[in-house]
Amino acid sequence: MIFNSIAFFVFIGIFFPLYFALKGRARLFLCLVASYFFYGWWDERFLALVAFSTCVDYFVGLKLDNTEDQPTRKKLLIASMVVNLGFLGFFKYFNFFIKSFQEMLTGFGYDGSMHSLKIILPVGISFYTFQSMSYTIDVYRKEIAVEKDFIRFSTFISFFPQLVAGPIVRASDFLPQFQKDREFSWDRVTAGTGQIIWGFFKKVAVADSLAPFVDQCFQAPETFGSLHLLIGVIFYSFQIYCDFSGYSDIAIGLARIMGFDFPDNFKKPYFSRNYSEFWTRWHISLSSWLRDYLYIPLGGNRGGTFASWFILLVFMILTVFLTGWWWLAVIYLLSSVGTYFYMQKSEYNNKNAYNYMNLMNTMLLGGLWHGASWAFVFWGFLHGSYQVVQRLAGPIWNKALDTIRTPKLFKDILAMGLVYASTCFAWIYFRAPDFDVASQVITGIASLEAFNFGSVINKFWVIKGVMVIGILLLVEILDVRLTLWKVIQTNPAFRVVSFVLLLWAIAFFGSFGANSFIYFQF
Amino acid sequence: MKKLYWVFIVIVLFFAGDRIFGWVLKQLTGKSQFRYTRLYEGKAKADILLVGNSRGLIFYQPYIEEITGSKTMNISYNGMPIDLAEVLVKDYLEKYPAPKQMILDVSMCDRLNKSLISGFNLYTPYSPRMYDLIHLNDQTGAVAGKVFHLYRYNSEIFQRSMFYLNKTDEDWLLDRVINDAMVTGITEYVPDTIKIVQRDTIKPGDKKERLFKSIMSSLTASKNGEVEYVKGVMEHLASTVAFAKAKGVDVQLVINPYYPPYLDKLVNLDQLKAEAEKATGMKVHDYSNAVKDKEGFGDYQHLNKAGSRIFLDKLMEDGVLKK
Repeated sequence: MIFNSIAFFVFIGIFFPLYFALKGRARLFLCLVASYFFYGWWDERFLALVAFSTCVDYFVGLKLDNTEDQPTRKKLLIASMVVNLGFLGFFKYFNFFIKSFQEMLTGFGYDGSMHSLKIILPVGISFYTFQSMSYTIDVYRKEIAVEKDFIRFSTFISFFPQLVAGPIVRASDFLPQFQKDREFSWDRVTAGTGQIIWGFFKKVAVADSLAPFVDQCFQAPETFGSLHLLIGVIFYSFQIYCDFSGYSDIAIGLARIMGFDFPDNFKKPYFSRNYSEFWTRWHISLSSWLRDYLYIPLGGNRGGTFASWFILLVFMILTVFLTGWWWLAVIYLLSSVGTYFYMQKSEYNNKNAYNYMNLMNTMLLGGLWHGASWAFVFWGFLHGSYQVVQRLAGPIWNKALDTIRTPKLFKDILAMGLVYASTCFAWIYFRAPDFDVASQVITGIASLEAFNFGSVINKFWVIKGVMVIGILLLVEILDVRLTLWKVIQTNPAFRVVSFVLLLWAIAFFGSFGANSFIYFQF
Repeated sequence: MKKLYWVFIVIVLFFAGDRIFGWVLKQLTGKSQFRYTRLYEGKAKADILLVGNSRGLIFYQPYIEEITGSKTMNISYNGMPIDLAEVLVKDYLEKYPAPKQMILDVSMCDRLNKSLISGFNLYTPYSPRMYDLIHLNDQTGAVAGKVFHLYRYNSEIFQRSMFYLNKTDEDWLLDRVINDAMVTGITEYVPDTIKIVQRDTIKPGDKKERLFKSIMSSLTASKNGEVEYVKGVMEHLASTVAFAKAKGVDVQLVINPYYPPYLDKLVNLDQLKAEAEKATGMKVHDYSNAVKDKEGFGDYQHLNKAGSRIFLDKLMEDGVLKK
C-alpha cells in the first residue's frame, strides 16, 4: 500500500479511531496487525520474510541477554548478520553478482552463460533489515536492553509508517516509546497533520510533477538539446529529494499523531555548504546508521583496520575485471603504493589516509545499499571522492577566499552552488539506467548544443516544475530565516492559513496517479 | 471541542477557496481564444471541421479559408488520440449546426494518450461525454477534478488556454525547414511500425487494486456520456465518422504527407489505411507521399507552412476540400 493512494486513506480512516479507542496490549496488537496488513497489501508472500527476520533477531536478542560468554555472543551476532544479510544478499544482490561474475568470465574469454533467477525484490527489505540488525548489534554491544515482549518487538520491526522506506529508526530511540500508552494529543495531531500535508505536497505536487520530464530525458537523452537535459538533471535532484523526504515527512507525521517521535530524516540538504554537512542533512537515518555500524567500526577518523584495506581492495579488483580497463590496475597500484609510503611518514598521515579509506568504503557500500548496480557504486564513489577532496583542498579553498576577503554570504552561496552542482552530477549516475545513458546525458549537456529555451520540448512540464520548485524553496528559505514551522505550530490562525494554502497547492499542482515512491526499490 | 472548530474551519476554507478559485479560473479560461474553449463556449461555428493530432495542425486554417472562402475549425492537437477526437467531434456536432465538411487525418489512429486526455479535465463542466472519457482513462483524475475544482486546471491544456488568452491559435503551424541533421540522419533511422492498438477493458494488475477500482467505478461513473470503452481504436474512428455522417456532414478521410525518406521507413502504413477503410467503409485518400520537396517539411512527420499550402492545393484539386 502506498501513502498516495485512496486505499491508504481508507486504511488510516479505520485505523486511527481504533488505535485511540484501544489501550495497552490491544493497541499494540492492532499496530502489529495493521502493519502486516499494510505490507501484505503489496504482496502477502513476503510477510513471512518480515516475520522470519523478526523471529531471528528476537531470539538472538534473548540469547545474547542470557549469556556473558563473549565467543558465544559473537557467534550469535554473526548468526543474525548471516541471516539478515543473507536474505538481503539473495533478494537484492544475487542476480547482480551472477551477472557481474558472468561478465568477468566473458572478459577472460570463457563462456560466461549462467542462469539467473527471477527474483522479486521485497519492498523495503533494505530498510527493515538495517533496523533489525541495529537492534541486535546494540544488544550485543550492551547499549540497549533486550526486548522480551515479542509483540512489542515485532511492532518495532514492522511499524507501518516507516516499514517500506524508512526512516530507519534505532531500537534505542523507538522501543522505549512502546513502554507506555501514547495519549491522544491535539498538539500532536496538528503537528503531525502539518508534516503529512507538507509530505504530500512534496510527493504529489513536486516529485510527481517533475517525474514525466525527467523520465523522458533519461529514456532517450540523445534526442534532446543541452538545456533540456540540464533542466532534466536539476528536476531529478528535486524529484528524488521530494519523493524521499516527502515519504519520510508522511511517515514521521503519522507516527507523531500516534504518539511516537522519530528523528528528522532530511534537513534541507541542498542548502549544505560542504559534503560532510550534506550527509548530515540527507537521509540522516541511513548516514548515521552507516557512521555508527560501518565507518566507526572500520576506525572512523582515528585510524584503520585490515578491513579498511580489504573492502577497498575488493572494489578495486572487481572494477578492473569488470571493466577490463587494465590501466585502472596500474593507477590503483601506484596510488596504493603512494598511500602506503605516505602513511609510513608520520602517525598523522597514517590516521588521515585511513580516514579517507574509511570514508570511501562507507560511501561505496552506501551506494551499493541503494541498489544492485555498479552505477550506484559509482555514485557512492563520487560522494566518497567529494569528501576526500573536500578534506584535502578545503583548507586551501578557505584560505584563498579569506585572502580576497570574500563576504560570508557570497562564500556560503558559492559553497552551496558547488555542493549542489557536484551532487547533481552524481545524481546522473544514480538515475541513469546504465553508464552509457549517463555518458550521453553528460556529453549532451557539455556540448551546449541547443542551449536555448526554444529547443526545450514539453515546456508545460518545465513551467509547472519551476513553479513547484519555487514554492518548495520559498517555504524552506522562510523556515531557515523565520523558523516557519515553529510559527505554524504555535499560532493556530497561521496554521490554518498554511494548511489551506498547501492543500490548494496540492489540488492545483498535484498528480493523483498513485505513483510509487522511488525509494521503494531500495 | 474548540480544536474541532479549527478542523472545520480548515475544511470550509479549503473548499470555499477551491470553489472560488475554480470559478475564477473557469471565467479566465472562458475568455481564451484557444480552440477547445471556443468550442465549448459556443464560439466555434464553422463550415469545415478539421481533425487530427499534431499532423492535423498542418491543415493551415488561414490558407484554407483563403482558397475555399469557408470558415474553419481545427480541433487537432499534439498527440491527440482518436477516442478524444471522437468526444470533441461529437460535442461539436451536437452544439453547432453541422459543418459542410469534416476532414480527418487517420494517421492519428496510431496511439492512445491517457495523459493528454486527463488534461481536458477543465472542459468536464461543459461535457459529460468528456468526463466519461477521462473517468475511463484516469479514474482518480476524473474524481479528483470533481472533488477539487482547482485540480481541473492542473494541465498543459490550461496553460495553452492561458497562452491564447488574447490571441488566436489558428496560425499554429511549424514555420521552419527540416534541419540538415535530420535530413542526413534519416539514412540511419530504424524502420518504424505504426501501432494499431486495441484497448483493454481492464488493465492487468493486482487483483485487489482491480476490485477496488471496480467498486470505485460503480460509485462514480456518469451515465450521461456515450463513450464505450470496450471498443478498439478503429471502432472509435468508425463511430466518429458514422456520427458525423448521420448529421449530414461530408466526411473525408486522408493520410497527411510524411517526409518521403521517412515514409520509406514506415512499414505498415498500408495496413493502417486498410484497417481504417474496413472500419469506416470509406475510401482513405492517401497523401502520404504528396509533398516531395524537403523545403516543405518542418520535420519527418510535419509539413511547414509552405508544404501545407502545396498539400492543401492538392486537396482542392482532387475535390477532397471543397469550396
